[in-house]
Amino acid sequence: MVSEDELDMQDAAAESAEDDFYSGGEEDGFDSDDADVADYEFIDNDSDDSDDLISHRYQQNYTILSEGDIRQRQDDDIMRIATVLSISKVAATILLRYYNWSVSKVHDEWFADEEKVRRAVGLLEEPVVPFPDGREMTCGICFETYPSDRLRAVVCGHAFCNSCWAGYISTAINDGPGCLMLRCPDPSCNAAVGQDMINVLTSNEDSDKYSRYFIRSYIEDNRKTKWCPAPGCDYAVDFIVGSGSYDVICRCAYSFCWNCTEEAHRPVDCGTVAKWILKNSAESENMNWILANSKPCPKCKRPIEKNQGCMHITCTPPCKFEFCWLCLGAWSDHGERTGGFYACNRYETAKQEGVYDDAEKRREMAKNSLERYTHYYERWATNQTSRQKALADLQQMQNVHLEKLSDIQCQPESQLKFIIEAWLQIVECRRVLKWTYAYGYYLPEHEHAKRLFFEYLQGEAESGLERLHQCAEKELQIYLNAEGPSKDFNEFRTKLAGLTSVTRNYFENLVRALENGLSDVDSHGACSRMASSKSLGGGSSRARAGRGKGSTSRSSGPSRNIDEPGHWSCEYCTFANIKPATICAMCQQRR
Amino acid sequence: MANSNLPRRIIKETQRLLSEPAPGISASPSEDNMRYFNVMILGPTQSPYEGGVFKLELFLPEEYPMAAPKVRFLTKIYHPNIDKLGRICLDILKDKWSPALQIRTVLLSIQALLSAPNPDDPLSENIAKHWKTNEVEAVETAKEWTRLYASGA
Repeated sequence: MVSEDELDMQDAAAESAEDDFYSGGEEDGFDSDDADVADYEFIDNDSDDSDDLISHRYQQNYTILSEGDIRQRQDDDIMRIATVLSISKVAATILLRYYNWSVSKVHDEWFADEEKVRRAVGLLEEPVVPFPDGREMTCGICFETYPSDRLRAVVCGHAFCNSCWAGYISTAINDGPGCLMLRCPDPSCNAAVGQDMINVLTSNEDSDKYSRYFIRSYIEDNRKTKWCPAPGCDYAVDFIVGSGSYDVICRCAYSFCWNCTEEAHRPVDCGTVAKWILKNSAESENMNWILANSKPCPKCKRPIEKNQGCMHITCTPPCKFEFCWLCLGAWSDHGERTGGFYACNRYETAKQEGVYDDAEKRREMAKNSLERYTHYYERWATNQTSRQKALADLQQMQNVHLEKLSDIQCQPESQLKFIIEAWLQIVECRRVLKWTYAYGYYLPEHEHAKRLFFEYLQGEAESGLERLHQCAEKELQIYLNAEGPSKDFNEFRTKLAGLTSVTRNYFENLVRALENGLSDVDSHGACSRMASSKSLGGGSSRARAGRGKGSTSRSSGPSRNIDEPGHWSCEYCTFANIKPATICAMCQQRR
Repeated sequence: MANSNLPRRIIKETQRLLSEPAPGISASPSEDNMRYFNVMILGPTQSPYEGGVFKLELFLPEEYPMAAPKVRFLTKIYHPNIDKLGRICLDILKDKWSPALQIRTVLLSIQALLSAPNPDDPLSENIAKHWKTNEVEAVETAKEWTRLYASGA
């Protein structure tokens, strides 16, 4: 049953993959999701070149394996070896285990030199000593004398009593996975002990343990397979190495990087993630008290805990002050007039250089470096928390609200899939956004143009996502709390679906641009006008984001920067430069 | 009390160790704990330990013979596979242990280790380095230590 689903899933269109993976680990939900794909497929089609991108991204280069799948594969491999080599299944198992479950390696080695393989693996063809048939013998372990029917031996003939065999096997099993390579207890003998002997002589508990080691060995000793690292998850992943993106989404909904098994972290590379995680653990003591879990309301100073997803915080009455969680500035300053929502992603490194003496300068530098780290860490962590919250909200939406909304608005649940789609996108975007802060932290200070470009892209991404998050979280409430069907529900549908699609495109382009190391920006100043206008990643994403916004909240489009105080828009590449500059930071053209 | 339900194997091994001791090796159980043995190994001829008498302690854990005995040198010895606490780096005392091995075979292996030090699998990094860079001098030190600490006075 499970494996059938699995096949379906791989064959299914690209879009279906996404909701399957995210829908909270409830198997039941998957099938119905698949069926409804067609209903909202249009969401992906309203942007020209997104199709090949999506199919590229969701093309599965891995297979999720359940315990049943793994056992099936194991059995198939064992059968294949047993048949081709004309040996018992027990012997085939020993061989496969020895050669790390590589069927081809077993073939190669066996047919190259069977004798050598038999010796190395301990698959003897004849006894080394005669088994004491019908005679009494002293067991070499407990030194007691037994009749031959209470003795036992593997092929080699070295006989030990049943209870010593049982003790030997049990000790090996409780010692760890080494029990899979068990040899005859005689120190001079290397005859392998097969599963047949082990099955007869073990308790149920040990037998279970052995079986776990056996299945684990199939995944862990094989370079193409790994366990899903999520706690409590029993799925494994078979990955086609060298086939593009390392991001894997397990059937348990956990997404992780196949290469380093940390959580999925595109667009940041594994090395940076390792550095960042190390840094976080090294500085976490500091961060704990710096961040704590609450911030005082900037107006009334009451402590506020953030328990909603988006950054727009409204203090409880009577204060009701609306502010931005990140910069604690008034929300009213976050509108279009100040250069777009969320200008607060920019970290100003330019501190006033004054008449400080050396000691003070050093103190200042130390403070700055901590401040700089705090800046990125805080935003990284906040997006992490937001993502957790969004995941919980998504669950809540699927399990409770969707049905309620369907009743109130008199819409079939299949017509409300756009809401789930939006939440899935929010979860994914929070993940990407989170990692862009690690990216930003390690982006070299001196790459000025890249930094500016990066911060611009990040800022746009953040504002786009905030708009989507706000719409899915707050605006939806109106329709959830309505008495009956709302007239403008269809408008809401169009708006949310549109925002979802625009945000998805924007983030996909963002990921690509960052993965390319922001190569569109030539920091050495040789960048020509042609090159920058042709640029694909960031350049086109900017245009697309602008167009998307036009349909929702903004009408001015890409040229809006001209109106901004303190900025001028480059007429060649449209980049928003700061006023004092006379040469465009992006394309180096004169103003 | 621990002695009352001593496995038959341990009793038999002990009897044989006392009645037919291996050459150059003596092992006798402690009076109050039959699982604890006082061991003496004579330094093998033609080794830097020749003429020395080395004291060891050997303990049979509860799981014996499924688990290896625990053995430690009590006499100071200059040997690349034995550290300053007397711990011994020997495969059959660890992963290569088999319940079909015995106290006798373990002690014979330790005796053999004195004849054939293995500086490529060292326990004591410094001594092993000494052995590899200047074997003549290292052997001299081993002889010196044997005279100083293992002369059986």
